[in-house]
Amino acid sequence: MSISPRLAVAAGLVALFVAIPLVYIFIRAMGAEPEAWQRLLQTRLWKLLSNTLLLVVAVTSGALLTGVSMAWLTERTDLPGKKIFRWMLAMPLAVPAYIGGIVHLALLRPRGGVIPQFLESVFGQPVPTPSPLGFWGAAFILTLFMYPYVYLLSGAAFRTLHASLEEAARVFGRTPMQTLFHVTLPALRPGLTAGALLVALDILAEYGTVALLRYETFSSAIFVQLSGRYDRSAASVLSGILVALAIVILWGELRLQGQARFTQMESAWRPAPLVTLDRWRVPAFLLVLGVVSASLLVPFTVLLIWSIEAFLDPQAMTVLFRTGSQGFGSYVWNSLWSTSAAAVIAVALSLPVALLAVRYPSRFSRFISRLCQVGYAIPGVVIALSLVLLVNRFLPFLYATPFVVVIAYVLRHMPQAVRASESALNQLSPSLEEASRTLGRTSLQTLIQVTLPLILPGLLAGGSLVFLTSLKELPATLLLRPAGFDTLAVRVWVWAGEGFYLQAAPAALLLVLASALPLSFLLRREQIFK
Amino acid sequence: MMRVTKFTYFKEIRFMFRKTKVFLFVTLLALVVAACGGAPTAVGEEKATEVVTSSGVSTEAPSEEPMSVSGDLVIYTGRSEPLIQPVIDAFKAQYPNVNVLLKAGSNSELANALIEEKSNPQADVFITTELFTIQSLAQEEVFEPYVPKGADQIPPEFLGADNMWTGLTRRVRVIMYNRDLVSEDELPASLFDLTDPKWRGQIAAAGSTNGSMQAQIAAMRQLIGEEATQEWLYSLIANEVTFFGGHTDVRKAVGAGEFKLGLVNHYYFYLQQAEGSNVGIIFPDQGEGQIGLITNATSAAIVKGGKNLPAAQAFLDFLISVEGQKLFAEQNYEYPLLPGVPLREGVQPLDGFRLADVDVVKASLDFDATFDLMERVGLP
Repeated sequence: MSISPRLAVAAGLVALFVAIPLVYIFIRAMGAEPEAWQRLLQTRLWKLLSNTLLLVVAVTSGALLTGVSMAWLTERTDLPGKKIFRWMLAMPLAVPAYIGGIVHLALLRPRGGVIPQFLESVFGQPVPTPSPLGFWGAAFILTLFMYPYVYLLSGAAFRTLHASLEEAARVFGRTPMQTLFHVTLPALRPGLTAGALLVALDILAEYGTVALLRYETFSSAIFVQLSGRYDRSAASVLSGILVALAIVILWGELRLQGQARFTQMESAWRPAPLVTLDRWRVPAFLLVLGVVSASLLVPFTVLLIWSIEAFLDPQAMTVLFRTGSQGFGSYVWNSLWSTSAAAVIAVALSLPVALLAVRYPSRFSRFISRLCQVGYAIPGVVIALSLVLLVNRFLPFLYATPFVVVIAYVLRHMPQAVRASESALNQLSPSLEEASRTLGRTSLQTLIQVTLPLILPGLLAGGSLVFLTSLKELPATLLLRPAGFDTLAVRVWVWAGEGFYLQAAPAALLLVLASALPLSFLLRREQIFK
Repeated sequence: MMRVTKFTYFKEIRFMFRKTKVFLFVTLLALVVAACGGAPTAVGEEKATEVVTSSGVSTEAPSEEPMSVSGDLVIYTGRSEPLIQPVIDAFKAQYPNVNVLLKAGSNSELANALIEEKSNPQADVFITTELFTIQSLAQEEVFEPYVPKGADQIPPEFLGADNMWTGLTRRVRVIMYNRDLVSEDELPASLFDLTDPKWRGQIAAAGSTNGSMQAQIAAMRQLIGEEATQEWLYSLIANEVTFFGGHTDVRKAVGAGEFKLGLVNHYYFYLQQAEGSNVGIIFPDQGEGQIGLITNATSAAIVKGGKNLPAAQAFLDFLISVEGQKLFAEQNYEYPLLPGVPLREGVQPLDGFRLADVDVVKASLDFDATFDLMERVGLP
């Protein structure tokens, strides 16, 4: 089939839309006075670089270790309660890391936290407890809320992996451990690198948690620059470097993915036999319970208790339920409509790109599709910065409207929509569309009457992902929101930042619940629940 | 309670629809303008020139009738939201037709936004926690001059040149301490005692993104010089001072016994005391030859080209009215600038203290050097 010019133009326009903020930030970074570069090189840059990379490495390894071991325990062993654990281990995705951080900080803060204070009252003297602050704290807490990426991807891989591969290794005399490391894990590699990539890029973009736990990375330093001197070139320089870093990671993943191919024959698939844990049953159970508690049960319970306290406290109630633009209802409404709009727009924009990439594979269409995925590599704070500068200069009538916030969500989370649309289209045989064309339908009619209804579930999944991730987006919302436009994420951040945990809790709880809904839809779709 | 939320929710939807319509209309308008050969930026420029021609000191009092002031009032505030909210609520009670839209952030983050928005103003009023940011912005010609009602009673050093801004309340940099952990005889008497190794790891303060801290460092640069200020900051960092994003964290941490000392604005001590913590306050540097108390003032200004000048003027009038000043004094333990407004009971009057003398205009001109200094020493 020859490439449709209309489709190519549409996809090209989408790619242009996605690329402009990226290009603009590079131009601003390059255009910064040498002074700004010099000041950064002399003072902050190397510290920031090492801080950021250290955290990326620590959290990615932590997430790999936790994610894979949790997936193995729930998929391949006779762990008691593994059905419910399978579900609970994925749910922390609905808890934004900064909300988890707020809860853990309130519990564990040295001397002032609930746990240290409790221990002190029991033992009559301060008992040293691990601190959630600084590098180790940030690494620990981010791992807790990032491992589900790895867990989900490796869990799926464990489920579909051929039993015969491992059996063959055992037949040739490998111990179970050797089999795990030499056969199973390498076969999982595509899933693991994809998971690790998501984690690494998320850490680069992370603002809330690192700011909360007082560990300075590129993203938080950019934010500090924006609230410092009256000069945005330093922030642009840092943004340029951060995006370059993210692109290197993205490129590295593509290389890694490209090298290895594992082929399995569908016909002979049967589930792998379960490993019996024997005397390891109890420790393994406790380990999984510990992970689930720290990443899901404890944050949820604490938020629930705080929310109940807030509802019992008349002062907190009046703060929560103000009228007009400062009312709780308005935060909820703002959150819901802006993220829903972002989801719809992102899915709509992803369609021409996915159609082009799947139906007309070529060098050009692959390039467009890749370009549309750079959103992964542009942290929210960078998108916000480039949009502030761009929109105010070229589209001043759009400046300081909620629509800019929506645009930021779309740019940032477009990759999820593109990937979902592409996979949905891949599963649809082109012969159906060809039949429709043969019967006299135009290509547009075919798209609307045949293709769209059939790929709708896939599009819905993409939209849910965009919704889920936009809902918790913090730095872009903080920087771009017009006065009077607050979302749940912003309210949680503002209240908790002032130390008002009771007021923050209902919004945080609602945010978690609102994320849990599309997440369970996605998990059901991926057949995590059975 | 349910009914109230539901109601506001529907009001919001209607409001959103109205906004969407306005937005569509503006979009169309801009497209027409663009199509007629004028670039969209021309809209902003036109507006700007219009403002210049109509500017000049307007001493004319805004409408006497509060009901006639209406519409959206966009306030950018560097004061944290919980501290300004009671004042806004009281203002709304007097002007029920004004819909206040608030954007809270750090002083300089909002200052950056105001500079960015000069050609396309969004805010009507700007409020900060110190005078240097507002004076810098006045020099950037961000503000519309205005003399609020009653400004003649405010001490002249708290009024901006050319009526560009108005001081609201005064606050003092103090050291608060946890009485359970620190005994009276070992208390520090000076900011410079905070570098004493005996307090290693026991002090909390606000970091470089906090307006009051930025202003304190700017003041110290003027009082003791760049070198000595740098030395002091290095020593604080070496003494393992913990720097938080804001002072609420500091006061809570000191109140909870997480830290022995906290470097804060005076009212954070009173707020913490009101929560029932056993905390004390030190007014530092009172001895002969010492720098005296570092004070600063919250301030407000009207943004040039804002969309609702009558409401902005009414709001500034309210801020320095007896009622507004009383609210600041009562709710937040601040020192009102309007003479005759009583301090909240228990607040230590400033008479009899040595106060440091800082030149606001000079400090604002040097503000960039303060940022350089904080960056150089790596203040978190």
